[in-house]
Amino acid sequence: MKLACFVLLSVLFGSCLAAETAPPATAPRKGSYTETYDTLYNSLTVQREGSIVELRARSRRGEFLESAVDLDDPLRLIVPYSRSVFAAEFFLPNPKRVLMIGLGGAGIHRLFVAAHPEALIQSVELDAKVFELCRTRLGFQPTTNTPVAVMDGRMFIKRNREQWDWLILDAFRGGYVSPHLKTAEFYRECAARLSERGVFVSNLHETTALYYSDLKTITSVFPQVVLFHVPGTGNVVAFAVNYRTPVISDDSTWSADAEVAKPFAGRLNFSLIRNGIRPLPTKEIATAKVLTDDFAPVEFLNSVRTNNAAKDR
Amino acid sequence: MAVLGTLSMGFQLLASRLLAPHFGTSIIVWAWLISTFLAAFSLGSMLGGWICNAAPHVRQRLQVVTAAAGVVSLAVTALFGRVLLDRIEVAFLPVEAGDLQEVGGMSRALFVSCLCLFFVPVTALSSFSPQCVQYLAAHGTAPGAASGVVYGISTLGNIAGVMLTAFVLIPNEHLGLARLLLLWLVVAGVSLSGLILLLRAPNGRTAS
Repeated sequence: MKLACFVLLSVLFGSCLAAETAPPATAPRKGSYTETYDTLYNSLTVQREGSIVELRARSRRGEFLESAVDLDDPLRLIVPYSRSVFAAEFFLPNPKRVLMIGLGGAGIHRLFVAAHPEALIQSVELDAKVFELCRTRLGFQPTTNTPVAVMDGRMFIKRNREQWDWLILDAFRGGYVSPHLKTAEFYRECAARLSERGVFVSNLHETTALYYSDLKTITSVFPQVVLFHVPGTGNVVAFAVNYRTPVISDDSTWSADAEVAKPFAGRLNFSLIRNGIRPLPTKEIATAKVLTDDFAPVEFLNSVRTNNAAKDR
Repeated sequence: MAVLGTLSMGFQLLASRLLAPHFGTSIIVWAWLISTFLAAFSLGSMLGGWICNAAPHVRQRLQVVTAAAGVVSLAVTALFGRVLLDRIEVAFLPVEAGDLQEVGGMSRALFVSCLCLFFVPVTALSSFSPQCVQYLAAHGTAPGAASGVVYGISTLGNIAGVMLTAFVLIPNEHLGLARLLLLWLVVAGVSLSGLILLLRAPNGRTAS
């Protein structure tokens, strides 16, 4: 009996130690189609209509559009919030090194590489299947300038000691982000990985109570935070920096639209992006709780709807 | 038994929160965490069965030793858990090591973490289930019925532990993980002490 138990446990632990991620098995596909995948971390739908391929994550609230790519024009940014992410150009134009936590369909990557061909954009994606679908369905081909690490974003931040000009956090799983990627401790780790004038970028949803705790937490770590609302959506993209001057909420300190737009060859309307700036909701932030590794009821805050939800529908 | 069941499974949720900043919340983390708890339930049950069959004076000492091991190890987790995880993370997942995606190193780190922080307390808590069966059987309950009652109540405690921890304790802004672990320590100490006193009650002897 004892021997049997020992053997059973040894086999169990041994198999875990030997576990490896399964290699990709699918090939690129053409024509219109809808496919569903249940991965280790997500329930995904990949849908192609014409040249547009959408990657959606299913959740109890329906399907969340994670990413979309026009295969005939991969530089076109289809998902609105991805355009607002490029507002980071206002604070630190022409970045040399970018870290993106959450690969999605790599919609941002293609335009970024076209605009900054010499720059590095490193991605971290937890779900190996997302990376596989990104390559086989959404036409993303990683290069030495666009490497992808399949691992937890926080572990990457802790173990990778490089400095980044832009650090973009966009690690949604169908409208949900793991609590350990929402805490003050994690944001401090991110802040420590920014270059001297580096910009931390986080895609947020203003439709739940988590939004205010998110902002409270980010503002507790970074001296300056600026928000850009994405019109017609519940998305707000937060930009934060480690320095106090110049004051980044004053748009006279930003790089000029024409200057930052140049590498994008008319693909982005920076005047429109600039107009998305909105003040911090200081009143709501005042009563929100800072999320920490000790206290982070992210799932519960994410289930409480705010008035912003109705406003944007 | 309901309280011990509550402590055991509630502790698993707290453990996941304790591990998350160091190792994330990936399927690898959950695989090690669940396996560790099941292994502790398994070993605890066998240990408890063995204690049941010891001579009364030896059995009483073993009960105290087991409960003390559970409380002390829980205290280590509550008071030094973060520090130990920092050390384990550095030892098994050194920043200098080039391969950021190494699954083996992560598994080794999780194995050591789970073993150091969670295995002993859960093993100790689980060891009392067979002793409660023995106690009821010695007090006139049929062995089969005694076993059913103890494991049924314990499992109801497990469910209560998960629901209470997930829906009430973790979202409570006045508690936080550090305080919850201390709460677990206090409740474990009190309930194990009470259980030992109960098991020592007259006629609470083994049938052997």
